[in-house]
Amino acid sequence: MQNENDTVKDDAELAASISATQEKEWGCCSVQEPSFQEEEAAKVPYLGDKEPLSSLAAEYQAGSPILLEKIKILDSQYVAIRRTRGDGNCFFRSFMFSYLEHILESQDGAEVDRIKVNVEKCRKALQNLGYTDFTFEDFFALFLEQLDDILQGGEESISYDELVNRSRDQSVSDYIVMFFRFVTAGEIRTRAEFFEPFITGLSNTTVDQFCKTSVEPMGEESDHIHITALSDALGVAIRVVYLDRSSCDTGGVTVNHHDFVPVGTNDEKKEASAAAPFITLLYRPGHYDILYPKPSCKVLDNVEK
Amino acid sequence: MQQSRARLFKEYKEVQREKVADPDIQLVCDDSNIFKWTALIKGPSETPYEGGVFQLAFAVPEPYPLQPPQVRFLTKIFHPNVHFKTGEICLDILKNAWSPAWTLQSVCRAIIALMAHPEADSPLNCDSGNLLRSGDVRGFNSMARMYTRLAAMPKKG
Repeated sequence: MQNENDTVKDDAELAASISATQEKEWGCCSVQEPSFQEEEAAKVPYLGDKEPLSSLAAEYQAGSPILLEKIKILDSQYVAIRRTRGDGNCFFRSFMFSYLEHILESQDGAEVDRIKVNVEKCRKALQNLGYTDFTFEDFFALFLEQLDDILQGGEESISYDELVNRSRDQSVSDYIVMFFRFVTAGEIRTRAEFFEPFITGLSNTTVDQFCKTSVEPMGEESDHIHITALSDALGVAIRVVYLDRSSCDTGGVTVNHHDFVPVGTNDEKKEASAAAPFITLLYRPGHYDILYPKPSCKVLDNVEK
Repeated sequence: MQQSRARLFKEYKEVQREKVADPDIQLVCDDSNIFKWTALIKGPSETPYEGGVFQLAFAVPEPYPLQPPQVRFLTKIFHPNVHFKTGEICLDILKNAWSPAWTLQSVCRAIIALMAHPEADSPLNCDSGNLLRSGDVRGFNSMARMYTRLAAMPKKG
């Protein structure tokens, strides 16, 4: 009798555990239908047009007064916003366009030479980590090709419109996003000791697991770990402006930003490159877009620092 | 299209080089279509699949390697993460954890690893998963071995 009871109890427990995990397990193995969010995201181009900040304010018309207050402040410092598709690749895509746009406008050959050295270092890092060359070389090649196409003087140099078109073209845009993902994973794995505590704090997985599931696959969202790694690997500073509901107790509303300054940038260089990073991204919880500062505000940002 | 073709061609060359290095995997490209591949993999030792040879079919989509190949077992196999009728495989790297860092060859290695380490908590084959989850390892092994004998071993005589 005792035994029979146990069996019954076991069966009931088993049934309960099955139904409890059912959702998860079928989530893995059922046919993947695009979610509502994915469908909505697909309506937005990979990269939007420049829009005035009033378009941002319009989104929050009926929303939190703190947000509207903050958008007012942003409006005094930034001329425009350029939206990116919310497909999990928005950070990398924002970074891509922002960087290439800067090169196109500045025609800064020295910067291109500098980043190419870093790209080669990233290539070596991946090789040292045991990545097979052909798995990443096409992505590297396509990024380097964009740099060459963008520097004028070359016969193939491209226009601003062409850069926008390419950034909206999946075969270019996604390949460059993937290039950044490889670079980011390579940097995290190479400096595993440095990144490990952040990764453990964020997701409680190993460095290897984190790279495999949260960095290398397309569509996996970025956070400060990805941004730090990419900025360090390529030696490019990134400013992230935060638009959220947080506010100070003192009542005054301010808009916070954080500058990701690559490691190895010594103070002298910091002084020299003085001005704010040339890449400014707007972060709203879960999403990155590109911001365009007003020319006069760069000075103001300096004073702040 | 161009990009995926170029990548697959590199994989083809790599496979020719690696043939000797990995005797458990024999990956073959269709004569007329580089987007269609088949593989013969050896069942891992100390599993009920030992001694069996299993055939996999690969259909590579145009956006490869940004999107994963579709892989299924052509050989019948009794395994919690393989659909008993269609041969569909439940493996994260073939779905949302895919990245271009994987290759057709390394996918085969991952499938061999999955054969040795079934994930009974995410079953495509519920009968098989339930045997393992209820702790009936003996029952599971005997079913899996029977299907290996029936479907994955060359008939004698």
